[in-house]
Amino acid sequence: MDTNRVLNTATKAGKIMLENGGETYRVEETMIRISLALGVKSIDVYATPTVIILSAKDQNNRNHSTLQRTYGISFNLDKISQINHLSRSIEMKHLNIDDFEKEIDIIEHKKGYSNKLTTVASALAAGFFTLLFNGNIKDFFCALLIGAIIKTTTIFLSKFSVYGFFINLVGGMEAAGIALFLYKINLCSHYDKAIIGSIMLLVPGLSITNAIRDTINGDLVSSVTRTMEAIFTAVAIAVGTGMMFKIWFGLFGGIHL
Amino acid sequence: MILATFYSFLSSLCFAFIFNIRGKNILIASIGGSLSWLIYLIIQNVHGSNTVSLFVAAFVVSIYSEVMARVFRSPVTTYTICGIIPLVPGSGMYDTMFQTISGNISKATLAGLQTLTGAGAIAIAMVMVSSLCRLIFYKKKQAH
Repeated sequence: MDTNRVLNTATKAGKIMLENGGETYRVEETMIRISLALGVKSIDVYATPTVIILSAKDQNNRNHSTLQRTYGISFNLDKISQINHLSRSIEMKHLNIDDFEKEIDIIEHKKGYSNKLTTVASALAAGFFTLLFNGNIKDFFCALLIGAIIKTTTIFLSKFSVYGFFINLVGGMEAAGIALFLYKINLCSHYDKAIIGSIMLLVPGLSITNAIRDTINGDLVSSVTRTMEAIFTAVAIAVGTGMMFKIWFGLFGGIHL
Repeated sequence: MILATFYSFLSSLCFAFIFNIRGKNILIASIGGSLSWLIYLIIQNVHGSNTVSLFVAAFVVSIYSEVMARVFRSPVTTYTICGIIPLVPGSGMYDTMFQTISGNISKATLAGLQTLTGAGAIAIAMVMVSSLCRLIFYKKKQAH
C-alpha cells in the first residue's frame, strides 16, 4: 500500500467537500474514514475553511503529512453527498485505491447545473420570495428581472476571482437601484418588497448553517471564520443597498418623485 | 396561508437548484421550506411573537431535516439549508438599513435588535435539535 497515494486522494476528497460548502467535522471525519479504510495505520486531520492539514503513520511507523490550501466556496451540495456516500461504501464494496481514485475523479469533474438554469432559478426564487413577503404581481416581475441580473453579475464577477464582499455589495446596489428605477417609472408598486425578495439570493444562508453546525461540534476556528463571513456578507448587502438609496436621495431628493 | 406555503415551496425549490441539489432530494428539501413557513405563520397567528415563531419553525424544520437525512442517507445540510432560507431575516436586515439611511436611529436600533434576536432564535433552535439528535443516537449506539 502506498501511503502517499492514499493521503493525496483523501486530501483531494477533503478539498472538494470543503470548497463546495461542507461542514468541517464532516470533512475531517470523511478523510479519516477514507484513509483508515484504505490501510493507513493512524491519522490526524485538521481542517478549517481555508486549509487542510493531515498527518498519518504508515505500517513502518513513519510519518507522512500533507497540507492543502483551499480557495473560495461554490455551492454544490450534491458533491458532498456523493463523496460522503463513497467514503462509506469503501468497506462495504471492498474498493481499492485505484477504484477510489477513479470515482473521486468522476465526482470532481462532474458539472453542476448550467449557468442558464441557475440564473432562471435565481430569478424565480427572488420572484417567489417577493410574493411570500406580500408583494403583488407587478413586484413579482420586477424581482424576476432583478434576480436574473444579480445572478448574471455574480457569475460574471466570480470569473475574475473578485472577493465575496464586493460581489455582495454590487448585488445589493443592483437590487436597490433597479427596484427604485422601476418604481419611479411605475412598473413596480412596492420597491421594498422587490428589494427584500431579491437580496434573499445573497443572504449567507449556507455560511450561517455551517457556522452553527461547526460551533456545536467544537470546531471553534471554523465557526468563528464562518460567522465572520456571514456577518461580512450581511454588511456588504446592507451597505450596497444603502449606498444606492443615498445616491438616489441625492439625485432626486427622495423616493416619491 | 396555503398560498404563502406554496410560494415558499417554490422559492425553496429554486434554491435547491442554486445549491446544486439533485434527484429526489430537491423535493424533500423544498417540502422542508414550505413546512418552515407554514409553521411560522401558524405560530405567529396563535402567539403573535416573531421571535417565538421563528424559533418554533426552525426547531421543527431542523427535526425534519435530521430525520430525512437519516432516512435518505444524505448530509443534513442538504435539507437544512432550503428549510431555513425562508426564515432568514432578510426583511429585518433591509429595515435596519433603510431606517439607518433615513436617519431614524431609534427605529434602526429596534429593527437591528429584532433582526439579531430572529437570527439568534434560528441558530439556537438548530443547536438544540442537533445536540438532542446526538444524544438520542449516542444512546442507540451504546445499546447495540
